[in-house]
Amino acid sequence: MLQNSNKIKFLVGSLDTLNNMPNVKVLPIFSDLIMQFLAELSTKLLTKVKTREFMDVISYAFWIRKGHTEKHKGFYKTDERMGRGIALHFAPSNVPVNFAVSFTSALLAGNPCIVRVSNKEFEQVNIICSTINEIIETSLPEMKNYINIIRYEHDDEITAQLSEMCDIRIIWGGDRTIKEIRKAPIPPRAIEMTFADRYSLVIINSDEYLKQDPKQIAKDFYTDTYYTDQNACSSPRLVVWTGNNIEKAKENFWKELEILINNDFELQPIKTVDKLDSFCRLSAVKTDLKLIKNNNSLYRVEVGSLTSDLLTYKDNSGYFFEYSTNKLEDIAPILTKPCQTISYLGIEPQEIRQIVEKFGPRGVDRIVPIGQTMELAFIWDGYNMIEAMSRIIYVR
Amino acid sequence: MIERFHELEPYSLEKSEKDKLLVSELLELTDFHYNNCEFYKNIVNGFGYSEQNIKTVEDFPFLPVRLFKELDLKSIPDDEVFKIMTSSGTTGQAVSKIYVDKDTAILQQKVMIRILSDYIGKNRVPILVIDSPSTVKNRVMFSARGAAIIGLNIVAKKMVFALNDDMTINWEVVNEFFENYGKEKFLIFGFTFIVWQHLYQELVRQNKKFDLPEAFLMTGGGWKKLISEQISRDEFKKRINDVLGIKHFLDHYGMVEQTGCIYAECECGHLHASIYSDVIPRRFNDFSPCEIGEEGILQTISVLPHSYPGHSLLTEDMGRVLGVDDCPCGRKGKYIEISGRIKQAEIRGCSDTYASKF
Repeated sequence: MLQNSNKIKFLVGSLDTLNNMPNVKVLPIFSDLIMQFLAELSTKLLTKVKTREFMDVISYAFWIRKGHTEKHKGFYKTDERMGRGIALHFAPSNVPVNFAVSFTSALLAGNPCIVRVSNKEFEQVNIICSTINEIIETSLPEMKNYINIIRYEHDDEITAQLSEMCDIRIIWGGDRTIKEIRKAPIPPRAIEMTFADRYSLVIINSDEYLKQDPKQIAKDFYTDTYYTDQNACSSPRLVVWTGNNIEKAKENFWKELEILINNDFELQPIKTVDKLDSFCRLSAVKTDLKLIKNNNSLYRVEVGSLTSDLLTYKDNSGYFFEYSTNKLEDIAPILTKPCQTISYLGIEPQEIRQIVEKFGPRGVDRIVPIGQTMELAFIWDGYNMIEAMSRIIYVR
Repeated sequence: MIERFHELEPYSLEKSEKDKLLVSELLELTDFHYNNCEFYKNIVNGFGYSEQNIKTVEDFPFLPVRLFKELDLKSIPDDEVFKIMTSSGTTGQAVSKIYVDKDTAILQQKVMIRILSDYIGKNRVPILVIDSPSTVKNRVMFSARGAAIIGLNIVAKKMVFALNDDMTINWEVVNEFFENYGKEKFLIFGFTFIVWQHLYQELVRQNKKFDLPEAFLMTGGGWKKLISEQISRDEFKKRINDVLGIKHFLDHYGMVEQTGCIYAECECGHLHASIYSDVIPRRFNDFSPCEIGEEGILQTISVLPHSYPGHSLLTEDMGRVLGVDDCPCGRKGKYIEISGRIKQAEIRGCSDTYASKF
């Protein structure tokens, strides 16, 4: 039971609907109700003028459109699986639509959701929440039992009360956030999924790069990095070059990227100091490196070796390590636990997968083409979200 | 050699002469720290530093001030550390650690005196410190406030602390000080916000007034807290004048990382760089130097740090150069205006901001 209602702001739902959640029926995976809800949410979002300002809301709306969810439904045995119970989400503050991606998977897995969104106000959150409210008020009133979206200031008591109610707890955040929230126990049968701070890299074959459209690749890479201020866990922090034409490829690659940066990217003043500081901390202790920069929007730190601690010196807002090699296995030391996505250009993804298999590291959950690191998916951080959030009813 | 500077008056050099002197001194200092501080050597190598590329003061590499919170940067053996100065970080935050040897400590005090005497005269004066004695008690780990006070001690004929340890006014001490020195030239020193909160507001509350026309009020530590209370500099001066009758104001800009080289306020309200220091506002875009009048992020230069590589630093403060060599007060060199700190980042990494809220 949740008590302190005055400290909680409901963006969707109310104290009554939230406290009623333990009585709500769980649903089969990809249930008609949820499929219809997402289809309506998609249509309504795409027809709103306001949505057009936000690429991320448009991407989300496309991701949940009927054709797409129907296609994914086909991948699962829907008569075998059902939801586990209340899914309690702690959404991050760095990617605005992430809260929606999180509840979408949980709803499709059959679970009623409580979502705690960040205190940071995002217009994207407002657009999505107000559209959900429209749907609940008009066509699908029963959805009110399945979704509560709330906001509250840091409060151990509320976090504890909510955690007591849940069957799945999903925490997006850094190590500290996860540690803080974990102080609140969850019921014995409940499960927890944590999405901690990660880093990512891209591998580019220089010969293949030179055969392709440099403008398109610059655009793809910009989407992976500068579009989110290089803030997303899946944004590459390291560029690994292979092949026989590395120097030429590098020159073209960064030149094309700088055209986009100079046109579209706005660097926050404090980041100029952050990036200088990050470079100094690294160069104080490592000598085989070289800094290349024309201005503060792009730092390229060429390193002579890849060591397991390199990525602890990572930064964002246009801060890249760069490494050239003809032996792809050189990347093995950095495939540590926090390593998430490897994106690639001109390299067989299976070749990368084989390196992961050979060395058996704890990291690497995704291998995707350049430009696709931000792609929304039902597989994330090594989880099949729908399966992890549902249960099998075994019948024989 | 630093002795060359001591032979000159602190505000006597025009730009071309000063630049020449600074460049040769900074080359020496950079070379010294390069050979005596491993971290510094690695960092400037990382920048691709080469003496051949130095033409002007603007060409020297600079370290972010924040780095002194993250690394132990020193160019002397451990047994020559005379004191470690720390910045006043808020609780839980990392603090700067500045390693000072005896020579650098003496140099800091000498230059502080030379700069101050240009404003208040060569005679030593009584100083009333608006702070508590405990601020300077720990001689091994100085805070910035403590360091500023200790630095002043050497110009003091007598130094008296006006506040008790609980930051209330020690009336016994203050009354005695005013009785003895109230009619002559003396210095009241305190950080801006402490003067405001623990002296001015207390006087108003207790309905007390004084008339101290010969006193100098020397302030430091920035205006951020006062501005957030809607008190401008002029308003501050006016109100202080109302209750204390003070006419001479001497604000200053400085940092624990470059103790001694303060930028002090002249009669025209401008902060001046002495021959021992320089300030270069830089553009965010590419760190190129700003034009006169153009606001940028401040790089500060001081020729005093001989025990740690703090001679060229990038601060997190914003400001601009108002003019060079032509302030109506007659002092040569750059005069500047500080506009405040850079705005902190809104989003930092997948975890940081969220973590700080949770």
